[in-house]
Amino acid sequence: MAGSSVKVSVEALQEHQIQEVTLDGQEIYVQQLSMSENLTKLAHKIDFFKDESDGKGKPASEGEKEVAEDKQLAPFMPSLWPWDTVRNHLKCGLTEMSVLLDVLNLVKEKQYLVADPASQDTPDTRPAVQLLAKKKSLVAASSVLLSGAERLKKSHCEASKKTNDFHTELSTLRKIWRLKKVSTNIVGDLSYRSAGSRFWQGGSFEVRKSVEGEQAETEGEGGAARATSLEVTVPSELEGVAYIQVEVKTVPDMMDLTSSALKMPPGLSAVPTNAYWQSKLESAQNVLFCKELFAQLAREAVQVKSATPHMVIGNQIITNVFPGHQLSIVLCHYTGKEKRVPPSNTKLEHNHVLEHSLHQLLHEVHHRNVRIDAPHPVNATYGMTKRRRIAGPAALTRQDMIHMADSESLLSQIIKQTKHAVLRIRCMHVIDQMAVSIQDPQITAHWGCLNSALQSSVRIFITSAGYESLNTLSRTSIVLLIGVDTIRVVMKDGRTCQLSFEDKELQDLLLWQIAQHHTSVVQQIARYQGWQVLTANSSIGSGDAESFATSSAITIASPKGDKVISFRSGPTSGQRLMVKSVHSQADAHPSPAVTDSRWFELGGAFSEINLEKLEGRNLASKIDMLVAHLSNH
Amino acid sequence: MGVTCVYSYPVPDGKSGQAVVEILQRQIELLGALRSGHFCVDCDTFQSILQTSINVQPKTVYILHNSEQPASCFAITDTSLCLTADTLFDGLMHQLKNYYQQRKNAKMEAKGQRYELGDFILKVGSASLAGSFKGIIVEVEYCPCMVAVDCWGLMKELLQSVVGSVADQPPPILKNRQDELYSPSITVSQYLDIFNNFRKLSATNQIGR
Repeated sequence: MAGSSVKVSVEALQEHQIQEVTLDGQEIYVQQLSMSENLTKLAHKIDFFKDESDGKGKPASEGEKEVAEDKQLAPFMPSLWPWDTVRNHLKCGLTEMSVLLDVLNLVKEKQYLVADPASQDTPDTRPAVQLLAKKKSLVAASSVLLSGAERLKKSHCEASKKTNDFHTELSTLRKIWRLKKVSTNIVGDLSYRSAGSRFWQGGSFEVRKSVEGEQAETEGEGGAARATSLEVTVPSELEGVAYIQVEVKTVPDMMDLTSSALKMPPGLSAVPTNAYWQSKLESAQNVLFCKELFAQLAREAVQVKSATPHMVIGNQIITNVFPGHQLSIVLCHYTGKEKRVPPSNTKLEHNHVLEHSLHQLLHEVHHRNVRIDAPHPVNATYGMTKRRRIAGPAALTRQDMIHMADSESLLSQIIKQTKHAVLRIRCMHVIDQMAVSIQDPQITAHWGCLNSALQSSVRIFITSAGYESLNTLSRTSIVLLIGVDTIRVVMKDGRTCQLSFEDKELQDLLLWQIAQHHTSVVQQIARYQGWQVLTANSSIGSGDAESFATSSAITIASPKGDKVISFRSGPTSGQRLMVKSVHSQADAHPSPAVTDSRWFELGGAFSEINLEKLEGRNLASKIDMLVAHLSNH
Repeated sequence: MGVTCVYSYPVPDGKSGQAVVEILQRQIELLGALRSGHFCVDCDTFQSILQTSINVQPKTVYILHNSEQPASCFAITDTSLCLTADTLFDGLMHQLKNYYQQRKNAKMEAKGQRYELGDFILKVGSASLAGSFKGIIVEVEYCPCMVAVDCWGLMKELLQSVVGSVADQPPPILKNRQDELYSPSITVSQYLDIFNNFRKLSATNQIGR
């Protein structure tokens, strides 16, 4: 053939695929693939998976391989030869076939396996047994459920109790205390500054995440200390426990300066180092408050001038309230570093009420600092109180304005309260003493339940036993208004008088009132028995002078006029009773000048009656008896 | 605060005002009164400058301050209507420059000693118009009472021991309001009355010359 001399090579067309056309019309071609590269490219296009799923065991023809597939084959490993997966699958198929053959042999030929029928219990058909069985199984099921629920609950509880998470705890801390972040540290503030305090000492504390080892230790110690993942560090000067102790002491005449030693009540101890942060912060805040209170009081004690100077010695302020009574305010700060003073047997007699009111006073100062009235109208001066604002239109005088401006120092306020407390106790003591020691007129005291820190009142009734209901006149009532250092007395008849703080004055007044009470009882009895009151004087000028106050006297005459009783009662001289009986001599010398028979009975001598010998429970019943007896004669 | 009477004390011929004031002060001190600082009452006059017609007289507002009521400012109109206000009212008057203008050289002042004698407050001082002496002012206040008619007898007795027959009758302004509850504006009205009298006197004197 002619064709034998002509070589025909079958080759792909020498056409390059265009990769891109540049803007100037030049074409950039893709490099032609070599033979091996071409083969790899074609092998890429074969979908071996498709072959497995569609036609198992079908030989993959060359033509099918040529089918272009867009899908890229994922697990293509170029290191393995192309028919590897096909071989593997064929191998698998062979294994399965052999297994199938084995199973068929097993079933077909009895020599390999013998199956015996197993005996089975026939279920009980009786309904009772069935019910029982059902019940049993239900109980079992329920117990499983319950135990499961229990476990769930327990785990839930533990999860909620264990707020060991640092951030949850920090957010709790943040709710209660003021915190802020300074670079990498968290710093809190426990001072009262935001509440109006102007104390120089700050109260910043540091919050840190506690170390794991420490945490385990605290947990190991016991359940009392709550495990915490948060640690607070308070400044060293605020560590420990502090309190203000107020004591009112009776001292003979001089101030007692030696008792300023720190006395620690045995029940109070320092805060343990691993305490929960809340209690730690609270006690630190309390220390700060007590320090501020004491500093304020000490400053005032030095500044305020008074007749008897206030003394500030170390941690103690001493002032005189009354002669013989001194007030001592002590700041006790126990950091745990001090030496343990052996607990003394003497009980600490401190005044809780005054301590409380001291705290209250400082809180009030803080409150005043913070709460400033809003200006009204809005362009007015800021910080004016409402009273000051209306002072202009209301034309308040200079005096009123001065009153408005002056504020009392804490120390003088607490001294006033102390004075009142001392005075009140003294009065109580005097009245109780007299009520116990004096039997005849009974003394009862009714203390007003509504009183302020600076004023209280008491009503004293003086009555005679058995004659209380005679008349209100026979009951003496006195009202005492106990103030800061004076007592205002409102007497039975509405007169008022002012007493000083001395016990003796009140005692004298009460004795005087008792003496007068006797006279008024006699007067009432006479009136009820139909006797005539000739004279009655509550303060007579005749007779022996009393060492204090005055004596009172009354003269009464029987209805017939033949008996006259004279009664005299004095606070120190006691009661004296005289009787004069006049025997009528009307028939002896009748005279035309005498118009009435009673004018004959003017003369005669009084004879004293020993009151103690008279029969009767008390003076009122004795007089009652005597008057009744004499009226019958 | 109580009832107050204000009198002007005539200066006898041949005596200087200062000497008479000193005599009065000595008299009050002899009664046992204690000095308690100074007092000052001043009065500014403001006149309206807007006039609707030529025949209408300009309206006048007097602004007074009393040291006894340091936070207050009193404004009294021609019709003797009195407003008691805050001291900020002064500032308000200066804002009203276009309507009311302060009259020049019309500021009257009463200054002097303040005394306390039990429930009474006594004041003796001299009144001056723009710095020149015009007369003597005596004020007596009885603090516990608020109704003039109830305490006039008591005040008269004290006043007569100081100023003699000048105080035979209560001041004219007080006389009309004797049964009312006393208010500080009445005191200020009395001062204004006396100040106006001094002004008239000085005006007639100038005309006489």
